[in-house]
Amino acid sequence: MLQVIGIDAAYGHARVLHDVSLELEEGEMLFIVGRNGAGKTTLLRTIMGLLRPLKGSIKFDGGDIAGLSPEELYHRGFRYVAQDKKVFGSLTVRENIEIAAYSSGEPLSRAVDKVLEIYPKMRDFLNLKAGQLSGGQRQILLIGQALVGTPRLLLIDEPTQGLAAVVINEIAKILKRLKGQLSAIIVEQNLPLVTKLADKVVVLKEGKVIATLREASEICNTDLLEKSL
Amino acid sequence: MIYAIMYGLTVGAILYLISVGFSLTFGTMRVINFAHTLTYTIGAYLLVASLRQVGIPFLWGGVVGVGVAALVGYCIERFVIRRLYGESLDYTFIATFAVFLIGVDIIKWIWGVYPKPISDPIGRAAEFFGFVFPVYRILVIVLAILVFFGLEFFIRKTMVGKIIVAALDNKEGVRCLGIGVEKYFTIAFVLGSALAALGGVLYAPITAVHPYMGSHILLLCFAVVLTGGLGNLRGTFLASFFLGMLISITGRFWPAGSEIVAFIAMALVLLLRPIEA
Ligand SMILES: Nc1ncnc2c1ncn2[C@@H]1O[C@H](COP(=O)(O)OP(=O)(O)OP(=O)(O)O)[C@@H](O)[C@H]1O
Ligand SMILES: [Mg+2]
Repeated sequence: MLQVIGIDAAYGHARVLHDVSLELEEGEMLFIVGRNGAGKTTLLRTIMGLLRPLKGSIKFDGGDIAGLSPEELYHRGFRYVAQDKKVFGSLTVRENIEIAAYSSGEPLSRAVDKVLEIYPKMRDFLNLKAGQLSGGQRQILLIGQALVGTPRLLLIDEPTQGLAAVVINEIAKILKRLKGQLSAIIVEQNLPLVTKLADKVVVLKEGKVIATLREASEICNTDLLEKSL
Repeated sequence: MIYAIMYGLTVGAILYLISVGFSLTFGTMRVINFAHTLTYTIGAYLLVASLRQVGIPFLWGGVVGVGVAALVGYCIERFVIRRLYGESLDYTFIATFAVFLIGVDIIKWIWGVYPKPISDPIGRAAEFFGFVFPVYRILVIVLAILVFFGLEFFIRKTMVGKIIVAALDNKEGVRCLGIGVEKYFTIAFVLGSALAALGGVLYAPITAVHPYMGSHILLLCFAVVLTGGLGNLRGTFLASFFLGMLISITGRFWPAGSEIVAFIAMALVLLLRPIEA
C-alpha cells in the first residue's frame, strides 16, 4: 500500500536521509529501528508530509503523495503520533478527542468509545485537563486519537520511550490488538517489543537503510538486530 | 486616590482590549506583530473621521472603525503574515514593522499630524459616595470585562475556540488531525485586530488621536503581554488591569515615572518567570 522510493531529506543544508526506500503491505506492521539521530523521526515526518523530500517519491495506493500536506494525508487515512507525546494540554481529554473527531466527521460519542475501547480507564479522566495525564496515559490518548475516523496507516514514533515497564506492557497490548487491522510504521528502540510484533524491520543507520528484515527468523534474532544498530 | 484608581481601571480596560489580540496571535502563530497597534490607530481615526467628516453618531462611528480595522487586519494577515509562518522571528519583526510605518505614513497623509481630540460621547457623570465618575469611563471598563467573558466563552466553549487553543499547545498536532490551522489563525488575527480597534475607538475620547498613538501603546502592550504570559488570555486580562493601575497610581506621585514602572514590573516578572520558548 505504501512505497517509499529512494528519498533524501534535509533540514536546511544538513542532509539527514540518503536514498531511503521501504515498502509496506496492507495490514503489515513495520518497525524502524536505529540509533539516536539515525533519522527515524525524519523519515516518519517526511511520510506524513511535514517535511518535503528532496528527491525520490512516496506512493500510497499507487498514487504519488510526496508534497501533499499533512491535512490532505489525514483525509487519506494517515495518522501520525509524534515522538514528543504532546497532547493538547490546556484542553480536557474529551476535548482532545473532540479535536481528533472534528475533521474526520466521526460523532464525538463514537470517537470517545474508540478511545475507551483500547483503554477503559480513560473514562475517569475524560474531564481532566490532558496536561495532567501521566506520560503513559498521554501516549494512549494520542494513539486513541489516531484511531478516530477511518485510519489506514498509523505512523507512531517511539510509543514506549521513557515509560515504565507496566505502561509499556499496556501499550504493547494495544499495538498487538491493532496488528492486522491496520497498517502501521512504528519507530521503536525496545527490541523485545519489536521482535514480538514486527512483520518487517527496517534498520536505519546515519540516514541510510542498512538492512530490511522480512523473515520471522531474522526478526526474532535480537542479536542480529542489536548488532545491526 | 479614588480617581487614580478609576483612571487606572480605564487604562487597564483599554490595555486589555489592545493586548489580548497581540497575545493571541503570538501564542498561535508565533508572530510578533508590530502592526498590531496600527489597527488600534486606524480604529480611532475612522471614528474621528466618521464623527467630523460624515457626522454619524459615535456608536456607528465605532462600528465603522472596528469594521474597517478588522478588514485591514485581514489583509495584513492574508498578504504579509501568512507568508512568514515558520520563518524566523526576525523576518516577522521587519515585515510587520514596515507595515506599521507605511500605515502611519498613510494616516499622516490623509489626516495630517495634528492631534484630533474628540469629546466624551456621553458627557454625563455619575456620583457614588460623593465621588464623581464620568459614565463613559465606567462603560469602557464594563465593556472590557464583557469582552473578557465573551472571549473566554468563545475560546473555551466553541469548536473554533478549542481549535485555536489546541493550536496554541501544538500546531503540528492539529494539522496532523486533518485541520487546516490557517483558517483559524486568520479568525484569531482578525478578532485581535477588531479588539485593538475597539480599544482605539473607546480610548479616543479620553486621549488625543494622533498618528503615533500606536507606537506609544505598542510598548505598553508588550509589557502587558510579557507580564501576563504570551498566549495566556487570563494573564493578559490581569496584567492589563495591574499595569493600568500601577501606571495611574505612580503617575499621581511621580508623573514622569508612570510608564517606566510598567517596564520595571515587566522586567521583574521576566526575571522571576522567564519565557519558555
Ligand atoms: N529540526 C531540525 N533541524 C536540524 N536538524 C535536525 C532537526 N531535527 C533533527 N535534526 C538532525 O537530524 C538527524 C536525524 O534526526 P532524527 O530526529 O530524525 O533522528 P532519530 O533517529 O529520530 O533520533 P532519536 O532516536 O533521538 O529520536 C539528527 O542528526 C538531528 O540532529
Ligand atoms: Mg526520533
